Amino acid sequence: MNPATTRAASGDRAAGAVRRPARPGIVAAIARNTFREAVRDRVLYLLLFFALGLILLSRVLSMITVGDETKILKDFGLSAIGLFGVLTAVLMGVGLVFREIERRTVQVLLARPIRRADFLLGKFAGLALVLAVNTGLMTLGLYALLALHGAADPGLLRGIGLLYIEQLVMTAAALLFSSFSTPILSSLLTLGLYAVGHLSWSLLLLEEKLPPGAGRAVSHAFYWLLPNLDRLDIKAEVVHQVALAPSLVALAAVYGAGWVLVLLAGACAVFARREFV
Amino acid sequence: MTRGLAGALGAAAAGALLVGASGRALEAPAPASAPAELLYLPSGGTLRVASLGQESVLADLLYLWAIQYYSDYTETHRHEYVEKVFTDAITELDPRYRDAYWLGALIMSVEAKDLDAALRLLDKGIAMNPGEWRLPYLAGWECYFQGRYDQAAAYFEKAISVPGAPRSIRRASAGMFSKKGDVGEALARWSELANDPGMDDETRAIAARRWSELIVERDLGAARAAIAVWRAQHAGIPPHSLEGLVRAGLLKAVPVAPGGGSYRYDALTGEVLPPDARVLGPS
Amino acid sequence: MIPPRGDGTAPSSALETLPLQAPPRPAPRDPAALRGRTPALRLAGVRKAFRRHLSLGRIPVLRGVSFEVVPGTIHGLLGPNGAGKTTTLRIILGLVRPDSGTAEICGRLASDPDSRAGVGFLPESPWFYDDLTAREFLEFSAHLAGIPGPSRAGEARRLLERVDMATRADTPLRRCSKGMVQRVGMAQALLGDPELILDEPMSGLDPVGRREFRDLILEQRAAGRTVFFSSHILQDAEMICDRVTILDRGAVAAQGELAELLGGNIRFWEVGLRGVDPTGLIARVAVLRTSGAEVIARVDSEDDLDRLLAAVVDRGGAIRSVAPCRETLEDLFLREIGAPRGGGAR
Repeated sequence: MNPATTRAASGDRAAGAVRRPARPGIVAAIARNTFREAVRDRVLYLLLFFALGLILLSRVLSMITVGDETKILKDFGLSAIGLFGVLTAVLMGVGLVFREIERRTVQVLLARPIRRADFLLGKFAGLALVLAVNTGLMTLGLYALLALHGAADPGLLRGIGLLYIEQLVMTAAALLFSSFSTPILSSLLTLGLYAVGHLSWSLLLLEEKLPPGAGRAVSHAFYWLLPNLDRLDIKAEVVHQVALAPSLVALAAVYGAGWVLVLLAGACAVFARREFV
Repeated sequence: MTRGLAGALGAAAAGALLVGASGRALEAPAPASAPAELLYLPSGGTLRVASLGQESVLADLLYLWAIQYYSDYTETHRHEYVEKVFTDAITELDPRYRDAYWLGALIMSVEAKDLDAALRLLDKGIAMNPGEWRLPYLAGWECYFQGRYDQAAAYFEKAISVPGAPRSIRRASAGMFSKKGDVGEALARWSELANDPGMDDETRAIAARRWSELIVERDLGAARAAIAVWRAQHAGIPPHSLEGLVRAGLLKAVPVAPGGGSYRYDALTGEVLPPDARVLGPS
Repeated sequence: MIPPRGDGTAPSSALETLPLQAPPRPAPRDPAALRGRTPALRLAGVRKAFRRHLSLGRIPVLRGVSFEVVPGTIHGLLGPNGAGKTTTLRIILGLVRPDSGTAEICGRLASDPDSRAGVGFLPESPWFYDDLTAREFLEFSAHLAGIPGPSRAGEARRLLERVDMATRADTPLRRCSKGMVQRVGMAQALLGDPELILDEPMSGLDPVGRREFRDLILEQRAAGRTVFFSSHILQDAEMICDRVTILDRGAVAAQGELAELLGGNIRFWEVGLRGVDPTGLIARVAVLRTSGAEVIARVDSEDDLDRLLAAVVDRGGAIRSVAPCRETLEDLFLREIGAPRGGGAR
């Protein structure tokens, strides 16, 4: 063993000679570590396999349609990217924090001079990177199939982009729920939020049907308090090549990003109060 | 290990036998009225809720199922809920599903013999897809085949007014005006088509021919009407000539056939014939 | 003092070279030299109670704990199971918030993440990222410790050598034994030459491992660093600590310089005899054990020792050894804590 050389007495530490790592670097380091961990998770490959399988299945189904075969390919392809992307986000997202708490690796990390928010942001960034690669691979699969039919339409990318943002919203929600509850409950809550997010429009219908009063106010409040994920869904429009103003797509992206911020801020607030016993 | 494996295989075989036996017993006979189960197909709104954002895929799956279902000609009652399937379900889930409007309308009109249902579906499709000329075009033809020329003409007008609609479909529009008796408008349409430099040669030739045919029909009709009036005024005796009708003020002028030539008039029978019977074809 | 073997042969294993008693302790530090420097750790009136599961009321775990850790010393936090040692450590590291009172590291509140710059932590029974190798984990930890990029690989290599893990640097941690993981844990705690906070660092290690960890801790002190560790293995604490704090049921039962606490008084004498039965030779003598023909007897005072020695020589017996036994940490511990009891809240 190599003896350490004599250094200044430790009381000098108090004088402000603090070695603190830069925050962006911390987030990046945790993100890289999270990415490395995530790509070794078999769930990821299972879901990717099923997504690509569904895209291939659509090729078979398209052979028995009457009319536009490529519509079937595009619809199934986009749905596969959307659904499996969200499933990946939820299943991996709820495990991100829980696994670290269960194995107590979080204690070793948080014993470093890093903020709890930076830990969560790093986790989020790491999974966002995994989802980006995942979505990219599924997109490549879909476009390869479409290219065989001469129907590789770049317009689909706008829809895929918004689907990716939806995955980020679900990841942030999974992080929020897993900051205070078990993986099973977090999964249910996050998937529940996904379902509610796609039924947001029914809250407006309910509001119309209710008589004026508390019920209507509550319905209205819920509509605004919950993310309306239909706003991130332009699958039908891009498949049917409906003209969409770029500003509309940009606004939808901003809407999704806003929800990511809100949910992440909530997750950071909950996580900051959490005790690790 | 071998014993364990044998035990596992035995248990699996026993399980498979149970599944096979009970599965066979659970096979229900085909219901007497298969379409009855379609009664329980949820409405489009309900399906939309259940789809959780995957409406297009659900519409595709329903459409693929419908193709198979409506192709089974042994199913005699298959058309009972066809409007529920296409109008209330598939096109509710995906209002821009042009193939579904098209196929559904064809099934309703041609096989189910329900033109009104087909037109309801196509009207919905036209409203949801203002940029699609094929839907009003199909509606126009279905109305034509059923003798509803007024409606057909209106649909063809809609079709040709869609930006990007092929110019050749104006033939159908022109044809409907003459079918419904609006000769003046029909002539104008055929003339426009015949003189349209952007039109292909075949269409122009057809337009020119139809224009000539209409002219001849119009002239013959006017001449025969004038002859009928003369006969009524002259105790059934036909006029000596067509000029006589002009002199009597019953005809504006002696009709001249398109491309020159005169109409043939038989003073004994009072029959007016076109200059060349082939122009009109079989009556 | 190592009792000589009866047949004069050399010891055959490292275990036998370990002293049977505590080695002489280092002299207490000069209080004047230490006064005025910011304590490495300071707890003042820390209280903490945890909610009972599914019912009302709270279980108190810490009841007003106050102590200071002098910089550059080895300070042990001792106590039975359930005394609140782990909770204390977690409060210091900001993992748990105290209900009242303050905890500071080098003058900074424990709730401030910056207070942990310059601190290395090794948890009890550590578990790290399975799929990372020891090297990858150290380089990642080096980043979080604020070590600049170009130096990380070098630091990781140096520390892996220091904990004898250099040959297994590229083994995934899931394939490492508990002892190896603990070494890697110590290596990551040593990143950036920090003050050390260790939770039961020697638990689960074999005697060789425990010796190596003790040496590491002593090296850190020699380099001027503070080491604060919790343990329920009193022998380890006795061998290396300068100061101890003994917790019992969430309160400080005793604390201070180890040398002062134990006093250095001789409690009794152990005398090794041959050829004579000491029972009855003098009024107050007890036989502790026999080892072949040799008998180990105990007398409690110097006068009784003199009388026994004279009586043995008188009867023609042989005196093989005479050893003074001072109060041990275990004696102090049991005196302050009382009889062993079952576990409570951590």
